Amino acid sequence: MILVLGLSHHTAPVTLRERFAFAEARVPATLAQLRESGIVDEVVILSTCNRVELYVATSLEPRQAFEELHQFLMRIHDYRDPITDEIYKLAEPHSVEHLFKVASGLDSMVLGETEVLGQLKKAYDLALQHNHTGGLLNKAFQRAFNVAKQIRTETNIQRGATSVAAVAVELAEKIFSSLDERHVMVIGAGDTSEKAARALLSRGAKSVLVSNRSHDRAEALAKELGGRAVGFDSWAEEFRKIDIIISSTSAPHYVIDRAKLAPLMTLRGNEPLLLIDIAVPRDIEPEVNNLDNVYLYNVDDLQAIASDYLKQRKDELSKCQAIIRDKAQGLLGSRRPAKVATNPSPAFSHE
Amino acid sequence: MSFTDRHFFLIAVALYGISSLYAIFLLRRGFREDNRINYALLLGGALFHTYAMFQRGFSLQRCPINNLYEATIFVAWTIVTTYLLLGSWKRLRFVGAFASPMLFGIGVFALMPSLDPPHGDQPVFTGGWMSLHAALILLSYGGFGLSAIAAVMYLMQEHNLKYNKPRAVFSLMPPIQRLELVTGRLMLAGFVLLTAGLAIGVIYLKETHDVYFKGDTKIFWSMLVWLGCLAMLISRWRFAQRGRRLAWGAVGMFAFVLLTFWGSNLLSGIHNPGPPPSPTAEQRP
Repeated sequence: MILVLGLSHHTAPVTLRERFAFAEARVPATLAQLRESGIVDEVVILSTCNRVELYVATSLEPRQAFEELHQFLMRIHDYRDPITDEIYKLAEPHSVEHLFKVASGLDSMVLGETEVLGQLKKAYDLALQHNHTGGLLNKAFQRAFNVAKQIRTETNIQRGATSVAAVAVELAEKIFSSLDERHVMVIGAGDTSEKAARALLSRGAKSVLVSNRSHDRAEALAKELGGRAVGFDSWAEEFRKIDIIISSTSAPHYVIDRAKLAPLMTLRGNEPLLLIDIAVPRDIEPEVNNLDNVYLYNVDDLQAIASDYLKQRKDELSKCQAIIRDKAQGLLGSRRPAKVATNPSPAFSHE
Repeated sequence: MSFTDRHFFLIAVALYGISSLYAIFLLRRGFREDNRINYALLLGGALFHTYAMFQRGFSLQRCPINNLYEATIFVAWTIVTTYLLLGSWKRLRFVGAFASPMLFGIGVFALMPSLDPPHGDQPVFTGGWMSLHAALILLSYGGFGLSAIAAVMYLMQEHNLKYNKPRAVFSLMPPIQRLELVTGRLMLAGFVLLTAGLAIGVIYLKETHDVYFKGDTKIFWSMLVWLGCLAMLISRWRFAQRGRRLAWGAVGMFAFVLLTFWGSNLLSGIHNPGPPPSPTAEQRP
């Protein structure tokens, strides 16, 4: 029987999750300890910033196995405070469905994200290398990876951007034929603008210029991004070849206004220009959007798109649920479902 | 009842009509759906359309562009076949949603009985030069038509981006820069074909009337279209008049061609030399 015991961002705050996290180097020894304890026959430990979970196959009764696994987890992390609701314990079929949900990103903080699938594969590979998996977990994990792939291809759960930086990239891809020849300028070296610039570079943007009131900060960020720093008062001189501007200064007034931009647009042959204004108060005068071939988005516009995408992903949940239920039933086949499930959660709600 | 070429064209127009209805559905869904159904409908329509043209061509034993009906369905055929080629590239398949209403409109118009008078023993327009002249010019109108379709897509997507509509990002439409490029290139292709067609027309005029120019409505009209197109291409190339201005120009020019082609043709002496001497069998459904 496959059981899951763990805690995640749904049930425990980061202060608790970090107490139960396993450093990667420590995982093989912990896997061996668990096997030697006789509680489990097979085991995989998944430890990420959002969850710590033990996937086990055991011949013990679920109630007894959960109790012993709980005690093991407390002991190995030397945690002595009382803890109950933060730890969830799932028996079949919920345990298998939960594994499929995690693999598909349906249990993640950002619904449908794919990073967790890589982390799950890594956790499984580690257990496999050290011979801590067998027939039950091998089959369940292989099936989980297949289900994740099926959900990715057959539903829209992973479609669209859910962060401001990713939305900025999507917008750029809706305006420019290709990002390969695009030049990006970051005005004001904030965290979100840095992420957006990184995202654009990762999609192929050709170069990045950084302009900041503190030139040292501009230099540092430009170095990190593999770009070039330009003086805060001379950014307009570089404007001719810029296609995308991300602005996030703390200036109390507009840094870019229509009067300044209109002649610059003529200079650059009216090529399209994407302006991303993530500053509050805003850096770019809204009227610039009335200029031909200028596309201005502020932080609210980007958030609205990200929220719409998230809503679309949620709308896809029922399709994903049907696939997961079907595949879990297929995997469990004729095996008798578990009679006991301590603190079981509904298969598709957050724990 | 035996099926004539017009019956087959009627089926093609019906399929274009269904495709237009499906295009409305795609539009309402913000172009997020896969476009294969629309592509299949237009492919079916194109097959019937092609068959209708072949049947007419075989019955005449020459390229079937001898009256307004035939000229019109030739323009529509150019549009649909070019779309089918473009549509094999998945990212440009949405052009079909914009092409189908245009094809349907042109098709319904072409089916008006007065545009397809019975041919005499000898069709009105004959000869190699004349066929090439007509074919090149009609192909150029097809190019302008497709350019207008890409321009409409550009205008719609540009509007959504300009006014921060989420559907700009959610739709599967191509980026506006690519749509602008496609609009410009199709316009240029149309211009080259039109220039070649008009040049051949001049040769034909010299051969048949021993003049290079004649004060004819259709000739003045063609020169107007040619100059308009040239002005737009030059303003884009030399004066960076791009984006919305280019798109509106492409739409306006094709609308002008579509709305005035028939009138200029009917008023033209050399393109409209009078009724045929002896009518043959009725071809209308």
